[in-house]
Amino acid sequence: MDRQPPTRAIDQGDELAPLLAAIQRGERNALRKLYDRTAGRLYGICLRVLAEEADAQDVLQEVFTTVWSKAGKFDPARARGITWLSVLARNKAIDRLRSRRKPGDPLDDASDIASDDPSQLEVLEQKEDAARLSECLDKLDERARAMIRSAFFEGASYPELARLEGVPLPTMKSWIRRGLLRLKGCLEQ
Amino acid sequence: MTDKRQDEERAALAAERGLGVLSGDEARRASALERSDPSFAHEVARWRGRLAALFGEVQPVQPPESVWERIESATSGDTPASNVIALRRAAARWRAAAVGMTALAASLGIVLIEQPRTVPVPIEAARPQAAPLVARLGDTDRAVKLVASWDPSGRRLILAVTGDMATDPNHSHELWVIPAGGKPKALGVMAGGKQTHMQLADALAQLLQQGATIAISVEPRGGSPTGQPTGPVVASGSLDQA
Repeated sequence: MDRQPPTRAIDQGDELAPLLAAIQRGERNALRKLYDRTAGRLYGICLRVLAEEADAQDVLQEVFTTVWSKAGKFDPARARGITWLSVLARNKAIDRLRSRRKPGDPLDDASDIASDDPSQLEVLEQKEDAARLSECLDKLDERARAMIRSAFFEGASYPELARLEGVPLPTMKSWIRRGLLRLKGCLEQ
Repeated sequence: MTDKRQDEERAALAAERGLGVLSGDEARRASALERSDPSFAHEVARWRGRLAALFGEVQPVQPPESVWERIESATSGDTPASNVIALRRAAARWRAAAVGMTALAASLGIVLIEQPRTVPVPIEAARPQAAPLVARLGDTDRAVKLVASWDPSGRRLILAVTGDMATDPNHSHELWVIPAGGKPKALGVMAGGKQTHMQLADALAQLLQQGATIAISVEPRGGSPTGQPTGPVVASGSLDQA
């Protein structure tokens, strides 16, 4: 099973960690520096989720105003700054995507990721994650890969994915579960 | 169920939670487990960390400079940033609920002052939006309803209250306008009683446009000492045509 819990994900070379610490102390120029270094990546993520510029810009603004008031929630021992920010941006963008749905839409109940749930920002990263994931993703079949990406970037849930693919719910569940467990096996080799 | 089977089930659930693919009861169950079981929470956080590598696939796109300007104005001011953000959030929530304002205004017996016909033509042309505007302001538990009616030609703002707004002698309710994409500007402190009438200076009056947000915060008696909201926002809503 899992090896010992990693306590420190990336201990060096995270240039964003000191900026996030300065933002927590209320240093405004640190916010600008953080923006200069990360806005392109985070805007790319918002656009990937929302595919609409005005919405993506609103969400990007929200990400940075949230960072301004909540930078203290970032823990450099658990993840890199860019990872934490990316997860924050993705979650907020998915919230926005869901808010476009009409009330009463059956998919309304599908919300697993909600940015107001603080546990959603609990991310534990290890140095080798990034390098290994793409390698291990390549070993999955194309269908599982596509479904995992769709869930990750669009917040698509099981019922939604099953409907989109035109397969029964249990089928979709077993595709993704198998994919995730194979992924884990590969990542831990 | 055997122990091994249970372990596998939990491992799968942690992976699904980390990916964010669950819905309904399963999502609630995983969320509760994450809060109550540290080893489950650890595994979910590891999945988020593993999957975060997918962000590397996204091409960066430079956002327009206007986004930074909006961030700057949303986070500037002497106030703790969180108050302004809370205010904007509250505003965004109520902007979404702009249905039936006219009916509500009518039910509260508010008669909008008709635009005087004597306004000289050139001025009217310079102000295409000189129609009366109304904002319905809801507090968080909807025990109190407020309607703000804005008559641009007379620069008169009338705030009508139904229900009891909690008051105490040491605090005042202060009224703010937040122009779309701008910072809150103080309009003044609410009078006690069911109606507050305000005559606004021209500079402030120009901020009361359709889409601007009207909000009420709790401040020290007499109003905010800093010029920005310092206390919690109790109600807000956006201005729309009457």
